[in-house]
Amino acid sequence: MNNIEAINVKKTFKIRNAKTSNKGDAFTSKFYALDGVNLNIQAGEFFVILGPSGCGKSTFLDLIGGLTEPDEGKILIDGKPVEGPGLDRAIVFQQPALFPWRTTLNNVSFLLEAKKVEKSAREEIARKYLSLVGLTGFEDRFPYELSGGMKQRVAIARALAINPEILLMDEPFAALDAQTREIMQIDLLKIRDQTQKTVLFITHSIDEAVFLADRVAVMTARPGVIKTIIDIPIPQKSRLSNDVRITREFIETRHKLWELLKEEVVKAQKYSKCSIEDCTPADSRSIKKAPVLSIPLDARSK
Amino acid sequence: MESNASSETTHRSSAFDVVDLLKSYFQRSIAIIIFLLIWEIAPRVGLVNILFISPPSVIFSSMVDLILSGELTTHTIASLIRVFTGFGLALLVALPLGFLLGGWFKEFETSVNPLLQVLGQANPFTLFPVFMALLGIGEISKIAIIYWVCQWPILFNTVTGIKNVDPVLIKMARTAGLSKLEMFWKVLLPASLPTVFTGIRMGAGFAFFMLIGSEMIGAHSGLGFMIIKAQGTFQIPKMYAGIVTVALLGIVINYVMLELEKRSVKWKESIVI
Repeated sequence: MNNIEAINVKKTFKIRNAKTSNKGDAFTSKFYALDGVNLNIQAGEFFVILGPSGCGKSTFLDLIGGLTEPDEGKILIDGKPVEGPGLDRAIVFQQPALFPWRTTLNNVSFLLEAKKVEKSAREEIARKYLSLVGLTGFEDRFPYELSGGMKQRVAIARALAINPEILLMDEPFAALDAQTREIMQIDLLKIRDQTQKTVLFITHSIDEAVFLADRVAVMTARPGVIKTIIDIPIPQKSRLSNDVRITREFIETRHKLWELLKEEVVKAQKYSKCSIEDCTPADSRSIKKAPVLSIPLDARSK
Repeated sequence: MESNASSETTHRSSAFDVVDLLKSYFQRSIAIIIFLLIWEIAPRVGLVNILFISPPSVIFSSMVDLILSGELTTHTIASLIRVFTGFGLALLVALPLGFLLGGWFKEFETSVNPLLQVLGQANPFTLFPVFMALLGIGEISKIAIIYWVCQWPILFNTVTGIKNVDPVLIKMARTAGLSKLEMFWKVLLPASLPTVFTGIRMGAGFAFFMLIGSEMIGAHSGLGFMIIKAQGTFQIPKMYAGIVTVALLGIVINYVMLELEKRSVKWKESIVI
Protein backbone atom coordinates (compact mmCIF):
# COMPACT_ATOMS: atom_id res chain seq x y z
CA MET A 1 0.00 0.00 0.00
CA ASN A 2 0.82 3.70 0.26
CA ASN A 3 1.67 4.32 -3.34
CA ILE A 4 1.73 7.87 -4.64
CA GLU A 5 0.06 8.92 -7.83
CA ALA A 6 0.27 12.28 -9.54
CA ILE A 7 -2.11 12.94 -12.40
CA ASN A 8 -1.48 15.91 -14.66
CA VAL A 9 -0.40 18.12 -11.76
CA LYS A 10 -0.02 21.79 -12.58
CA LYS A 11 1.10 24.53 -10.29
CA THR A 12 1.50 28.20 -11.09
CA PHE A 13 2.88 31.04 -9.04
CA LYS A 14 2.05 34.67 -9.26
CA ILE A 15 5.10 36.84 -9.48
CA ARG A 16 4.95 40.46 -8.55
CA ASN A 17 7.15 42.24 -11.04
CA ALA A 18 9.40 44.96 -9.77
CA LYS A 19 9.24 46.67 -13.12
CA THR A 20 6.18 46.60 -15.29
CA SER A 21 6.59 44.63 -18.44
CA ASN A 22 7.15 46.82 -21.47
CA LYS A 23 4.16 45.21 -23.11
CA GLY A 24 2.33 47.10 -20.41
CA ASP A 25 -0.03 44.37 -19.26
CA ALA A 26 -0.07 43.45 -15.60
CA PHE A 27 1.91 44.03 -12.47
CA THR A 28 1.78 40.37 -11.76
CA SER A 29 2.60 37.56 -14.07
CA LYS A 30 1.89 33.91 -13.75
CA PHE A 31 4.55 31.35 -14.24
CA TYR A 32 4.31 27.63 -14.37
CA ALA A 33 6.37 25.79 -11.81
CA LEU A 34 4.86 22.47 -12.81
CA ASP A 35 3.08 21.90 -16.08
CA GLY A 36 1.41 18.55 -16.04
CA VAL A 37 3.39 16.10 -13.93
CA ASN A 38 2.38 12.47 -14.18
CA LEU A 39 3.97 9.93 -11.84
CA ASN A 40 3.21 6.67 -10.19
CA ILE A 41 5.40 5.77 -7.25
CA GLN A 42 5.06 2.24 -5.96
CA ALA A 43 4.72 1.37 -2.31
CA GLY A 44 8.07 0.60 -0.73
CA GLU A 45 9.97 2.14 -3.59
CA PHE A 46 12.94 4.48 -3.29
CA PHE A 47 12.04 7.03 -5.90
CA VAL A 48 14.34 9.89 -6.80
CA ILE A 49 13.39 12.99 -8.73
CA LEU A 50 16.39 14.53 -10.44
CA GLY A 51 16.31 17.90 -12.06
CA PRO A 52 18.14 21.16 -12.64
CA SER A 53 17.80 23.79 -9.95
CA GLY A 54 14.59 25.78 -10.09
CA CYS A 55 12.66 23.17 -12.07
CA GLY A 56 9.88 22.74 -9.53
CA LYS A 57 11.13 19.67 -7.67
CA SER A 58 10.51 21.17 -4.26
CA THR A 59 7.15 22.50 -5.38
CA PHE A 60 6.15 18.97 -6.27
CA LEU A 61 7.28 17.63 -2.92
CA ASP A 62 5.35 20.35 -1.08
CA LEU A 63 2.25 19.29 -3.01
CA ILE A 64 2.64 15.69 -1.90
CA GLY A 65 3.30 16.87 1.63
CA GLY A 66 0.02 18.75 1.47
CA LEU A 67 1.68 22.08 2.21
CA THR A 68 0.28 23.57 -0.99
CA GLU A 69 -2.47 22.56 -3.41
CA PRO A 70 -2.15 21.96 -7.14
CA ASP A 71 -3.94 24.34 -9.47
CA GLU A 72 -4.87 21.51 -11.75
CA GLY A 73 -4.66 17.76 -11.58
CA LYS A 74 -4.69 15.44 -8.61
CA ILE A 75 -2.34 13.83 -6.16
CA LEU A 76 -3.53 10.53 -4.79
CA ILE A 77 -2.07 8.48 -1.97
CA ASP A 78 -3.53 5.00 -1.98
CA GLY A 79 -6.16 6.32 -4.34
CA LYS A 80 -7.26 9.06 -1.94
CA PRO A 81 -6.63 12.69 -2.79
CA VAL A 82 -4.20 14.58 -0.54
CA GLU A 83 -5.98 17.03 1.69
CA GLY A 84 -3.46 19.08 3.61
CA PRO A 85 -0.51 17.86 5.66
CA GLY A 86 -0.76 14.61 7.54
CA LEU A 87 1.33 12.45 9.80
CA ASP A 88 1.27 9.57 7.31
CA ARG A 89 3.93 11.59 5.48
CA ALA A 90 7.05 13.08 7.01
CA ILE A 91 9.25 15.64 5.32
CA VAL A 92 12.97 16.20 5.68
CA PHE A 93 13.97 19.57 4.29
CA GLN A 94 17.26 20.82 2.97
CA GLN A 95 17.71 22.80 6.18
CA PRO A 96 17.42 20.68 9.33
CA ALA A 97 14.62 22.99 10.59
CA LEU A 98 15.25 22.05 14.21
CA PHE A 99 13.72 24.17 16.93
CA PRO A 100 16.69 25.86 18.58
CA TRP A 101 14.98 25.97 21.99
CA ARG A 102 14.40 22.23 22.07
CA THR A 103 17.00 19.64 22.92
CA THR A 104 17.77 16.90 20.42
CA LEU A 105 15.41 14.55 22.22
CA ASN A 106 12.59 17.08 22.32
CA ASN A 107 13.10 17.95 18.67
CA VAL A 108 12.63 14.32 17.75
CA SER A 109 9.54 14.23 19.97
CA PHE A 110 7.96 17.19 18.21
CA LEU A 111 5.97 15.26 15.63
CA LEU A 112 5.11 12.62 18.23
CA GLU A 113 3.49 15.37 20.30
CA ALA A 114 1.42 16.30 17.28
CA LYS A 115 0.51 12.65 16.98
CA LYS A 116 -0.69 12.76 20.62
CA VAL A 117 1.67 10.05 21.79
CA GLU A 118 1.97 9.91 25.58
CA LYS A 119 4.96 11.58 27.17
CA SER A 120 6.72 8.47 28.46
CA ALA A 121 6.26 6.65 25.16
CA ARG A 122 7.45 9.71 23.28
CA GLU A 123 10.75 9.73 25.06
CA GLU A 124 11.31 6.05 24.50
CA ILE A 125 10.54 6.29 20.78
CA ALA A 126 12.69 9.40 20.38
CA ARG A 127 15.66 7.65 22.04
CA LYS A 128 15.20 4.66 19.79
CA TYR A 129 15.29 6.71 16.62
CA LEU A 130 18.19 8.82 17.83
CA SER A 131 20.15 5.63 18.25
CA LEU A 132 19.07 4.54 14.77
CA VAL A 133 20.70 7.64 13.29
CA GLY A 134 23.73 7.18 15.54
CA LEU A 135 23.16 10.00 17.99
CA THR A 136 22.91 8.17 21.30
CA GLY A 137 24.46 10.38 23.96
CA PHE A 138 23.40 13.61 22.30
CA GLU A 139 19.84 13.63 23.67
CA ASP A 140 20.26 16.71 25.83
CA ARG A 141 22.22 18.85 23.42
CA PHE A 142 20.75 21.93 21.84
CA PRO A 143 20.91 22.30 18.04
CA TYR A 144 23.64 24.94 18.20
CA GLU A 145 25.86 22.36 19.85
CA LEU A 146 25.58 19.96 16.90
CA SER A 147 27.40 19.82 13.58
CA GLY A 148 25.55 20.20 10.28
CA GLY A 149 25.49 16.46 9.66
CA MET A 150 24.26 15.75 13.19
CA LYS A 151 21.45 18.28 12.82
CA GLN A 152 20.32 16.62 9.62
CA ARG A 153 20.41 13.24 11.39
CA VAL A 154 18.14 14.65 14.07
CA ALA A 155 15.78 15.86 11.35
CA ILE A 156 15.73 12.38 9.83
CA ALA A 157 15.13 10.80 13.24
CA ARG A 158 12.27 13.23 13.82
CA ALA A 159 10.70 12.24 10.50
CA LEU A 160 11.12 8.52 11.14
CA ALA A 161 9.90 8.65 14.74
CA ILE A 162 6.25 9.00 13.77
CA ASN A 163 6.65 5.90 11.63
CA PRO A 164 5.28 7.55 8.50
CA GLU A 165 4.25 5.45 5.55
CA ILE A 166 5.95 7.86 3.21
CA LEU A 167 9.20 9.69 3.72
CA LEU A 168 9.58 12.85 1.65
CA MET A 169 13.11 14.19 1.39
CA ASP A 170 13.85 17.52 -0.21
CA GLU A 171 17.58 17.61 -0.98
CA PRO A 172 18.31 16.65 2.62
CA PHE A 173 22.07 16.29 2.11
CA ALA A 174 22.63 19.24 -0.20
CA ALA A 175 24.03 21.48 2.50
CA LEU A 176 26.46 18.89 3.88
CA ASP A 177 30.12 18.47 3.08
CA ALA A 178 31.07 15.74 0.62
CA GLN A 179 32.26 13.18 3.18
CA THR A 180 29.37 13.58 5.57
CA ARG A 181 27.08 13.40 2.60
CA GLU A 182 28.36 9.99 1.45
CA ILE A 183 28.10 8.58 4.94
CA MET A 184 24.57 9.92 5.29
CA GLN A 185 23.61 8.32 1.98
CA ILE A 186 24.85 4.95 3.15
CA ASP A 187 23.05 5.39 6.47
CA LEU A 188 19.85 6.33 4.70
CA LEU A 189 19.99 3.16 2.62
CA LYS A 190 20.51 1.12 5.79
CA ILE A 191 17.61 2.82 7.54
CA ARG A 192 15.42 2.32 4.53
CA ASP A 193 16.42 -1.33 4.46
CA GLN A 194 15.32 -1.66 8.09
CA THR A 195 12.11 0.32 7.86
CA GLN A 196 10.90 -0.48 4.31
CA LYS A 197 9.32 2.90 3.74
CA THR A 198 8.25 4.49 0.52
CA VAL A 199 10.80 7.23 -0.05
CA LEU A 200 10.47 10.16 -2.41
CA PHE A 201 13.85 11.83 -2.57
CA ILE A 202 14.66 15.01 -4.43
CA THR A 203 18.13 15.95 -5.53
CA HIS A 204 20.09 17.70 -8.22
CA SER A 205 23.04 15.36 -7.78
CA ILE A 206 23.20 12.56 -10.35
CA ASP A 207 25.61 10.59 -8.21
CA GLU A 208 23.25 10.68 -5.28
CA ALA A 209 20.32 9.69 -7.46
CA VAL A 210 22.06 6.63 -8.88
CA PHE A 211 23.38 5.54 -5.52
CA LEU A 212 20.06 5.76 -3.68
CA ALA A 213 17.25 5.14 -6.12
CA ASP A 214 15.27 2.19 -7.36
CA ARG A 215 13.94 4.47 -10.06
CA VAL A 216 14.95 7.97 -11.11
CA ALA A 217 12.66 10.47 -12.78
CA VAL A 218 14.40 13.24 -14.69
CA MET A 219 12.56 16.53 -14.64
CA THR A 220 12.79 19.14 -17.34
CA ALA A 221 13.77 22.74 -16.71
CA ARG A 222 10.96 25.11 -15.85
CA PRO A 223 8.11 24.46 -16.35
CA GLY A 224 8.74 21.12 -14.74
CA VAL A 225 7.41 17.97 -16.30
CA ILE A 226 8.76 14.45 -16.09
CA LYS A 227 11.11 13.87 -18.97
CA THR A 228 11.94 10.21 -18.48
CA ILE A 229 11.95 7.61 -15.79
CA ILE A 230 14.77 5.09 -15.71
CA ASP A 231 15.37 2.03 -13.58
CA ILE A 232 18.64 1.76 -11.74
CA PRO A 233 20.06 -1.66 -12.58
CA ILE A 234 21.96 -2.04 -9.32
CA PRO A 235 20.48 -4.28 -6.62
CA GLN A 236 19.91 -2.44 -3.33
CA LYS A 237 21.82 -5.04 -1.32
CA SER A 238 25.04 -4.65 -3.25
CA ARG A 239 25.15 -0.90 -2.70
CA LEU A 240 26.19 -1.23 0.90
CA SER A 241 28.63 -4.09 0.57
CA ASN A 242 31.26 -2.51 -1.66
CA ASP A 243 32.11 0.66 -3.48
CA VAL A 244 29.34 0.55 -6.02
CA ARG A 245 30.37 3.88 -7.51
CA ILE A 246 33.22 2.30 -9.46
CA THR A 247 31.12 -0.45 -11.08
CA ARG A 248 30.30 -0.34 -14.75
CA GLU A 249 26.53 -0.23 -14.17
CA PHE A 250 26.91 2.79 -11.93
CA ILE A 251 29.09 4.70 -14.34
CA GLU A 252 26.91 3.86 -17.31
CA THR A 253 23.70 4.85 -15.55
CA ARG A 254 25.34 8.00 -14.33
CA HIS A 255 26.38 8.86 -17.86
CA LYS A 256 22.93 8.13 -19.22
CA LEU A 257 21.33 10.42 -16.66
CA TRP A 258 23.85 13.14 -17.33
CA GLU A 259 23.03 13.05 -21.03
CA LEU A 260 19.35 13.38 -20.19
CA LEU A 261 19.91 16.13 -17.71
CA LYS A 262 22.48 18.15 -19.60
CA GLU A 263 20.11 19.89 -21.99
CA GLU A 264 17.80 20.72 -19.12
CA VAL A 265 20.59 22.29 -17.13
CA VAL A 266 21.60 24.40 -20.12
CA LYS A 267 17.98 25.41 -20.59
CA ALA A 268 17.58 26.24 -16.92
CA GLN A 269 20.60 28.49 -17.04
CA LYS A 270 19.22 30.35 -20.03
CA TYR A 271 15.92 30.77 -18.23
CA SER A 272 17.55 32.31 -15.26
CA LYS A 273 19.19 34.88 -17.50
CA CYS A 274 15.99 36.06 -19.15
CA SER A 275 13.22 37.92 -17.36
CA ILE A 276 10.14 36.08 -16.26
CA GLU A 277 7.66 37.14 -18.91
CA ASP A 278 10.09 36.07 -21.60
CA CYS A 279 10.02 32.60 -20.14
CA THR A 280 6.44 31.74 -20.94
CA PRO A 281 6.15 28.01 -21.17
CA ALA A 282 5.06 25.92 -24.14
CA ASP A 283 6.97 27.83 -26.78
CA SER A 284 10.06 25.98 -27.79
CA ARG A 285 12.64 28.37 -26.52
CA SER A 286 14.13 30.63 -29.08
CA ILE A 287 16.75 32.33 -27.01
CA LYS A 288 19.18 32.91 -29.77
CA LYS A 289 18.07 36.52 -30.17
CA ALA A 290 20.94 37.90 -28.05
CA PRO A 291 21.68 41.21 -29.76
CA VAL A 292 25.42 41.22 -29.53
CA LEU A 293 27.02 44.49 -30.39
CA SER A 294 28.80 43.75 -33.63
CA ILE A 295 29.85 46.75 -35.62
CA PRO A 296 31.67 45.87 -38.82
CA LEU A 297 35.22 47.07 -38.94
CA ASP A 298 34.74 49.23 -42.00
CA ALA A 299 31.68 50.90 -40.46
CA ARG A 300 33.84 52.16 -37.67
CA SER A 301 36.49 53.59 -39.91
CA LYS A 302 33.96 55.84 -41.64
CA MET B 1 45.73 6.02 47.72
CA GLU B 2 43.71 6.68 44.66
CA SER B 3 40.93 8.48 46.46
CA ASN B 4 43.55 10.51 48.27
CA ALA B 5 45.09 11.62 45.03
CA SER B 6 41.79 12.57 43.49
CA SER B 7 40.68 14.54 46.55
CA GLU B 8 43.97 16.38 46.41
CA THR B 9 43.42 17.39 42.79
CA THR B 10 39.89 18.57 43.45
CA HIS B 11 41.16 20.53 46.43
CA ARG B 12 43.82 22.15 44.34
CA SER B 13 41.43 23.01 41.53
CA SER B 14 38.97 24.58 43.96
CA ALA B 15 41.82 26.71 45.33
CA PHE B 16 42.53 27.81 41.79
CA ASP B 17 38.85 28.56 41.35
CA VAL B 18 38.90 30.88 44.33
CA VAL B 19 41.95 32.71 43.01
CA ASP B 20 40.35 33.00 39.58
CA LEU B 21 37.14 34.25 41.11
CA LEU B 22 38.88 36.89 43.18
CA LYS B 23 40.87 37.94 40.17
CA SER B 24 37.77 38.36 38.05
CA TYR B 25 35.98 40.31 40.82
CA PHE B 26 38.99 42.55 41.13
CA GLN B 27 39.18 43.07 37.40
CA ARG B 28 35.55 43.99 37.19
CA SER B 29 35.42 46.30 40.22
CA ILE B 30 38.75 48.11 39.97
CA ALA B 31 37.37 50.95 37.84
CA ILE B 32 34.48 51.52 40.23
CA ILE B 33 36.78 51.46 43.26
CA ILE B 34 39.12 54.05 41.75
CA PHE B 35 36.18 56.22 40.72
CA LEU B 36 34.77 56.11 44.27
CA LEU B 37 38.18 56.93 45.75
CA ILE B 38 38.62 59.97 43.53
CA TRP B 39 35.08 61.04 44.31
CA GLU B 40 35.76 60.74 48.03
CA ILE B 41 39.11 62.52 48.01
CA ALA B 42 38.48 65.32 45.51
CA PRO B 43 35.84 67.23 47.53
CA ARG B 44 37.69 66.65 50.79
CA VAL B 45 40.98 68.13 49.59
CA GLY B 46 39.15 71.01 47.94
CA LEU B 47 39.66 69.95 44.33
CA VAL B 48 35.93 70.43 43.80
CA ASN B 49 33.46 72.36 45.92
CA ILE B 50 32.18 70.09 48.68
CA LEU B 51 28.96 72.12 48.77
CA PHE B 52 27.97 70.82 45.34
CA ILE B 53 29.63 67.43 45.25
CA SER B 54 29.24 65.37 48.41
CA PRO B 55 31.76 62.60 48.99
CA PRO B 56 30.38 59.03 48.89
CA SER B 57 30.83 58.51 52.63
CA VAL B 58 28.60 61.53 53.35
CA ILE B 59 26.02 60.29 50.80
CA PHE B 60 26.09 56.87 52.40
CA SER B 61 25.48 58.19 55.91
CA SER B 62 22.74 60.39 54.53
CA MET B 63 21.15 57.33 52.93
CA VAL B 64 21.32 55.48 56.25
CA ASP B 65 19.62 58.40 58.00
CA LEU B 66 16.95 58.57 55.32
CA ILE B 67 16.30 54.85 55.56
CA LEU B 68 16.09 55.02 59.36
CA SER B 69 13.67 57.94 59.22
CA GLY B 70 11.64 55.98 56.65
CA GLU B 71 11.71 58.80 54.13
CA LEU B 72 13.78 57.01 51.50
CA THR B 73 11.69 53.85 51.81
CA THR B 74 8.43 55.76 51.41
CA HIS B 75 9.64 57.53 48.30
CA THR B 76 11.14 54.39 46.82
CA ILE B 77 7.92 52.46 47.33
CA ALA B 78 5.88 55.27 45.80
CA SER B 79 8.18 55.25 42.77
CA LEU B 80 8.20 51.48 42.43
CA ILE B 81 4.41 51.29 42.52
CA ARG B 82 4.21 53.79 39.67
CA VAL B 83 6.87 52.13 37.61
CA PHE B 84 5.49 48.62 38.01
CA THR B 85 1.91 49.66 37.34
CA GLY B 86 2.89 51.50 34.16
CA PHE B 87 5.28 48.81 33.02
CA GLY B 88 2.83 46.03 33.89
CA LEU B 89 0.07 47.74 31.90
CA ALA B 90 2.42 48.09 28.95
CA LEU B 91 3.21 44.37 29.11
CA LEU B 92 -0.48 43.49 29.34
CA VAL B 93 -1.35 45.61 26.31
CA ALA B 94 1.72 45.60 24.08
CA LEU B 95 2.60 41.89 24.24
CA PRO B 96 -0.77 40.50 23.07
CA LEU B 97 -1.17 43.36 20.62
CA GLY B 98 2.28 42.72 19.20
CA PHE B 99 1.59 39.00 18.82
CA LEU B 100 -1.72 39.69 17.11
CA LEU B 101 -0.31 42.33 14.77
CA GLY B 102 2.78 40.36 13.88
CA GLY B 103 1.20 36.95 13.64
CA TRP B 104 -2.39 37.20 12.55
CA PHE B 105 -3.23 40.61 11.16
CA LYS B 106 -0.21 41.23 8.99
CA GLU B 107 -2.08 43.31 6.41
CA PHE B 108 -3.53 45.46 9.14
CA GLU B 109 -0.09 45.76 10.71
CA THR B 110 1.33 47.07 7.44
CA SER B 111 -1.35 49.77 7.45
CA VAL B 112 -1.01 50.88 11.06
CA ASN B 113 2.76 50.52 11.38
CA PRO B 114 3.56 54.03 10.05
CA LEU B 115 1.12 55.56 12.51
CA LEU B 116 2.56 53.55 15.39
CA GLN B 117 6.06 54.58 14.43
CA VAL B 118 5.07 58.25 14.49
CA LEU B 119 3.38 57.88 17.88
CA GLY B 120 6.36 55.96 19.23
CA GLN B 121 8.75 58.65 18.06
CA ALA B 122 6.91 61.45 19.83
CA ASN B 123 9.08 62.72 22.69
CA PRO B 124 7.25 61.68 25.86
CA PHE B 125 8.38 64.74 27.81
CA THR B 126 6.64 66.95 25.29
CA LEU B 127 3.52 64.85 25.70
CA PHE B 128 3.51 65.16 29.48
CA PRO B 129 1.51 68.41 29.52
CA VAL B 130 -1.08 66.72 27.32
CA PHE B 131 -1.35 63.82 29.73
CA MET B 132 -1.65 66.21 32.67
CA ALA B 133 -4.36 68.17 30.90
CA LEU B 134 -6.28 65.01 30.12
CA LEU B 135 -5.71 62.96 33.27
CA GLY B 136 -4.95 65.56 35.91
CA ILE B 137 -1.85 65.95 38.02
CA GLY B 138 -2.37 62.83 40.17
CA GLU B 139 -1.09 59.28 39.96
CA ILE B 140 -2.97 58.38 36.79
CA SER B 141 -1.14 60.78 34.52
CA LYS B 142 2.24 59.56 35.79
CA ILE B 143 1.34 55.91 35.38
CA ALA B 144 -0.12 56.68 31.95
CA ILE B 145 3.03 58.38 30.72
CA ILE B 146 5.19 55.51 31.97
CA TYR B 147 2.86 53.07 30.26
CA TRP B 148 3.00 55.14 27.09
CA VAL B 149 6.77 55.19 27.01
CA CYS B 150 7.47 51.55 27.63
CA GLN B 151 4.77 50.11 25.42
CA TRP B 152 6.57 51.08 22.21
CA PRO B 153 9.76 49.05 22.46
CA ILE B 154 7.73 46.09 23.72
CA LEU B 155 5.22 46.39 20.89
CA PHE B 156 7.73 46.95 18.09
CA ASN B 157 10.05 44.18 19.22
CA THR B 158 7.20 41.71 19.62
CA VAL B 159 5.92 42.45 16.12
CA THR B 160 9.42 42.13 14.68
CA GLY B 161 10.08 38.97 16.66
CA ILE B 162 6.97 37.24 15.37
CA LYS B 163 7.43 38.42 11.81
CA ASN B 164 11.02 37.23 11.67
CA VAL B 165 10.45 33.66 12.82
CA ASP B 166 12.38 31.41 10.46
CA PRO B 167 9.87 30.37 7.74
CA VAL B 168 11.49 26.93 7.61
CA LEU B 169 10.42 26.30 11.21
CA ILE B 170 6.87 27.32 10.38
CA LYS B 171 6.88 25.09 7.32
CA MET B 172 8.17 22.22 9.43
CA ALA B 173 5.47 22.80 12.02
CA ARG B 174 2.85 22.96 9.30
CA THR B 175 3.71 19.42 8.23
CA ALA B 176 2.58 18.35 11.69
CA GLY B 177 -0.82 19.91 11.08
CA LEU B 178 -0.76 22.04 14.24
CA SER B 179 -3.70 24.24 15.14
CA LYS B 180 -3.19 28.00 15.18
CA LEU B 181 -2.98 28.04 18.96
CA GLU B 182 -0.49 25.17 19.07
CA MET B 183 1.52 26.90 16.37
CA PHE B 184 1.67 29.97 18.57
CA TRP B 185 2.66 28.19 21.80
CA LYS B 186 5.05 25.71 20.29
CA VAL B 187 6.70 27.68 17.52
CA LEU B 188 5.98 31.40 17.25
CA LEU B 189 6.27 32.27 20.93
CA PRO B 190 9.53 30.47 21.73
CA ALA B 191 11.10 31.50 18.44
CA SER B 192 10.33 35.18 18.97
CA LEU B 193 11.25 35.20 22.66
CA PRO B 194 14.78 36.62 22.32
CA THR B 195 13.54 39.64 20.36
CA VAL B 196 10.55 40.08 22.64
CA PHE B 197 12.82 40.06 25.67
CA THR B 198 15.00 42.78 24.21
CA GLY B 199 11.86 44.90 23.93
CA ILE B 200 10.85 44.17 27.52
CA ARG B 201 14.29 45.10 28.79
CA MET B 202 14.28 48.33 26.81
CA GLY B 203 10.78 49.05 28.12
CA ALA B 204 11.88 48.58 31.72
CA GLY B 205 14.74 51.01 31.19
CA PHE B 206 12.47 53.59 29.58
CA ALA B 207 9.98 53.19 32.43
CA PHE B 208 12.58 54.28 34.97
CA PHE B 209 13.64 57.17 32.83
CA MET B 210 10.14 58.46 32.51
CA LEU B 211 9.28 57.80 36.15
CA ILE B 212 11.94 60.17 37.45
CA GLY B 213 11.12 62.71 34.78
CA SER B 214 7.44 62.76 35.60
CA GLU B 215 8.12 62.94 39.34
CA MET B 216 10.37 65.92 38.80
CA ILE B 217 7.69 67.74 36.83
CA GLY B 218 4.83 67.32 39.23
CA ALA B 219 4.55 65.04 42.25
CA HIS B 220 4.40 64.98 46.03
CA SER B 221 6.17 61.68 46.51
CA GLY B 222 8.69 59.46 44.80
CA LEU B 223 12.42 59.53 44.29
CA GLY B 224 12.29 62.12 41.51
CA PHE B 225 10.30 64.42 43.78
CA MET B 226 12.74 63.81 46.63
CA ILE B 227 15.73 64.70 44.47
CA ILE B 228 14.17 67.91 43.15
CA LYS B 229 12.98 68.98 46.58
CA ALA B 230 16.36 68.28 48.19
CA GLN B 231 18.01 70.34 45.49
CA GLY B 232 15.54 73.17 46.02
CA THR B 233 16.20 73.22 49.76
CA PHE B 234 19.93 72.80 49.26
CA GLN B 235 20.12 69.44 51.03
CA ILE B 236 22.85 68.26 48.69
CA PRO B 237 23.75 64.92 50.40
CA LYS B 238 20.05 64.01 50.40
CA MET B 239 19.84 64.84 46.72
CA TYR B 240 22.77 62.55 46.00
CA ALA B 241 21.19 59.86 48.18
CA GLY B 242 18.20 59.98 45.83
CA ILE B 243 20.37 59.87 42.73
CA VAL B 244 22.33 56.88 44.02
CA THR B 245 19.12 55.04 44.96
CA VAL B 246 17.75 55.54 41.44
CA ALA B 247 21.00 54.25 39.94
CA LEU B 248 21.01 51.21 42.21
CA LEU B 249 17.38 50.42 41.36
CA GLY B 250 18.24 50.66 37.66
CA ILE B 251 21.11 48.22 38.09
CA VAL B 252 18.92 45.76 40.01
CA ILE B 253 16.10 45.92 37.44
CA ASN B 254 18.50 45.43 34.56
CA TYR B 255 20.15 42.50 36.33
CA VAL B 256 16.80 40.83 37.04
CA MET B 257 15.78 41.27 33.41
CA LEU B 258 19.04 39.84 32.09
CA GLU B 259 18.76 36.89 34.46
CA LEU B 260 15.16 36.22 33.37
CA GLU B 261 16.23 36.46 29.76
CA LYS B 262 19.14 34.10 30.25
CA ARG B 263 16.89 31.56 31.90
CA SER B 264 14.20 31.59 29.26
CA VAL B 265 16.53 31.81 26.27
CA LYS B 266 19.28 29.50 27.49
CA TRP B 267 19.28 27.68 24.15
CA LYS B 268 20.84 30.61 22.37
CA GLU B 269 24.41 30.23 21.31
CA SER B 270 26.57 32.74 23.08
CA ILE B 271 28.36 34.68 20.42
CA VAL B 272 31.98 35.51 21.03
CA ILE B 273 33.31 38.35 18.95
